[in-house]
Amino acid sequence: MNKKTKKPKIGIFKYSCCAGCEFQLIFFQKYVMEVFEAVEITYCKMLQSSGKEQGPFDVALIEGAVTQQWQADQLKQVRSVSRRLIPIGSCAVCGGVPAIKNTRQECTVQEAVYGDTSVIHSVKAHPVDHYVKVDGYIRGCPMGLRDLNEMVTSLLLEKRPDFVEYCVCVECKLKGNICVLAAYGQPCMGPVTNAGCGALCPSHNRACYGCWGPMKDANARALADLFETLRLSRQDINRLFTGFAQPAVQWKSGQVQ
Amino acid sequence: MTAAKKRIEVDYLARVEGETSIAVELDGEPAIKLKIFEPPRFFEGFLQGRKYDEVGDIVSRICGICPVSHMTTAIQAVENAMEVKVSEQTRILRQVMCLSQISASHLVHLYMLAMPDYCGCAGILDMRNGFNKQIKRLVEIKDVMNRLTGLIGGRALHPVTHVPGGFTAVPPRGSFESVLKDLEAIRPRAGEVVEDVSRLALPQFHSNSEYVALACDGGMAVNGGRIVSTKGLDAAAGDYKQIFEESQVDYAFAKKSALRKGSSFMVGALARLNNNFDKLQDRTKKLAQRIGFTVPSDNPFHNNIAQSLEIVDNIERCIGMIGSNRFEEEDFYVEPRAGDGASVTEAPRGLLFHRYEINAKGVVEKADIVTPTSHNFQNIEKDLKKLVRENRNSGREHIRLLCEQLVRAYDPCFSCSVH
Repeated sequence: MNKKTKKPKIGIFKYSCCAGCEFQLIFFQKYVMEVFEAVEITYCKMLQSSGKEQGPFDVALIEGAVTQQWQADQLKQVRSVSRRLIPIGSCAVCGGVPAIKNTRQECTVQEAVYGDTSVIHSVKAHPVDHYVKVDGYIRGCPMGLRDLNEMVTSLLLEKRPDFVEYCVCVECKLKGNICVLAAYGQPCMGPVTNAGCGALCPSHNRACYGCWGPMKDANARALADLFETLRLSRQDINRLFTGFAQPAVQWKSGQVQ
Repeated sequence: MTAAKKRIEVDYLARVEGETSIAVELDGEPAIKLKIFEPPRFFEGFLQGRKYDEVGDIVSRICGICPVSHMTTAIQAVENAMEVKVSEQTRILRQVMCLSQISASHLVHLYMLAMPDYCGCAGILDMRNGFNKQIKRLVEIKDVMNRLTGLIGGRALHPVTHVPGGFTAVPPRGSFESVLKDLEAIRPRAGEVVEDVSRLALPQFHSNSEYVALACDGGMAVNGGRIVSTKGLDAAAGDYKQIFEESQVDYAFAKKSALRKGSSFMVGALARLNNNFDKLQDRTKKLAQRIGFTVPSDNPFHNNIAQSLEIVDNIERCIGMIGSNRFEEEDFYVEPRAGDGASVTEAPRGLLFHRYEINAKGVVEKADIVTPTSHNFQNIEKDLKKLVRENRNSGREHIRLLCEQLVRAYDPCFSCSVH
């Protein structure tokens, strides 16, 4: 039998997030229909009313941070029926915006929003790899189309995906931008943030705010020290290192209190 | 012997933004619950302690389909709190960005979420057999709308140039001219969207609701104006808290908004057209006439038609605003100061409210966000109840489909509603 007639089965699961990555995926801009010819989406609630969450999946894509026990339970189940499992977007990769709440007591944030917290059962926000083994990360907020393309192509070619693994500064230099940190003293998170956005913020006259999350060998402490010399308060520095990746170990040393 | 209770349960409603189930009890007077189980993310909780200049970037992440609306509303609220004045150019760019995002959002809703029901398909992937022209239209128009939002914002989803005080970068005239050509090119396509939607077999249903929207002199209100309704409400946006109140229910994580007198209401494209039809562009009015759409309409399924008309209208307005303005880089400076500020805007799904209390250091002390789907929550349940009552003798599958279609017609965003 021709191997190519068997399309890879993809399952897409959403946890606590804005669903922006799913929009990025199901809309895939201009390539959407070509991609959907090549793969079979067997589970995606936002896309279709049919579909089974039981799997099995060749690839499970997980969007969102885990903030509820049922999500963690389901995630483990999905892992057990998936050949590959890949978190998509900052919330799933490193906690993202939903993990800002980890900087405060869980009951404090609950009480700030709900009068009756007896029906609220949230847990601290964690990325997907806190609960299960993952097979790579598609980073970004929303996730980057380059890495998404790479994932789909690798799947079809049965090769190992080559995801972007360097900091935003590299892209900034390639674009020939003036460094907003060195030249203007703006608190730029570029040196510790994973690239893929095309150095979007510095290319638009503002400092990177770290929305793609940490790159793997980030020296967060050195950057936090540098920010102190720019007369940023400790609270301001802490806010920068907790905006998109509170649970991520790579940025812990920047989270001064 | 008693018969088992007759009920219909949709466990996890597909093709809507976010997570909800629908529970319908058919015995006696139908009882309806929209159990929104989208997990709470506590934005209003963790925004306390964050800085004024982060708020726009953070709240953009409330929603992946209307990030520009959250960002704009929050930034305007912060500016109101800190008494920051912005330029006319900033206001225009914000409006173009919001209008292009509203159109993109409507397109996704109409073609990907709502239309499959009427085509007998599980989703847009199944629509490839037989509805390729429609899919092509969706892709073509949405691409241009996203590019326009992205041109001004740096990216269409979670823009980066938009900050309190203005825009950190303004694209060169040439980029605007090229997008203007693309906008001109998709004008006829947008008219075809209206025709696509007008051909759907939308159920006949009358809801007798109050329709609430923003209104202003001169044109369709987007990022400000007075709060008006089809039942005589007319109040300043600053009086929002005196008009509406929000309460928690025990079966959903979204809060339910009501008018102070307790009654429900509808917001969104249909509410905007019911209140402001005369402000539409001539071309839009002609198209409405051609498909036989008139206001006021109290059929919530007509929200689909209203959205398609807004796509046409927004494209016309974007062409007008880009064509008649020269945008250039502007300097602005924002200084933190203590204050309390709110803003009300029209998001794709209707009225959106943000309010912030900020201290002298520019740190948020209190945040309050009410989204369009919270505004519509009670009205959706009210309409579901009436719909089930009127169709109780149909088969269960038919009732289930009708209920799903009705919820989708409201274009709810459950991620927003819980936030």
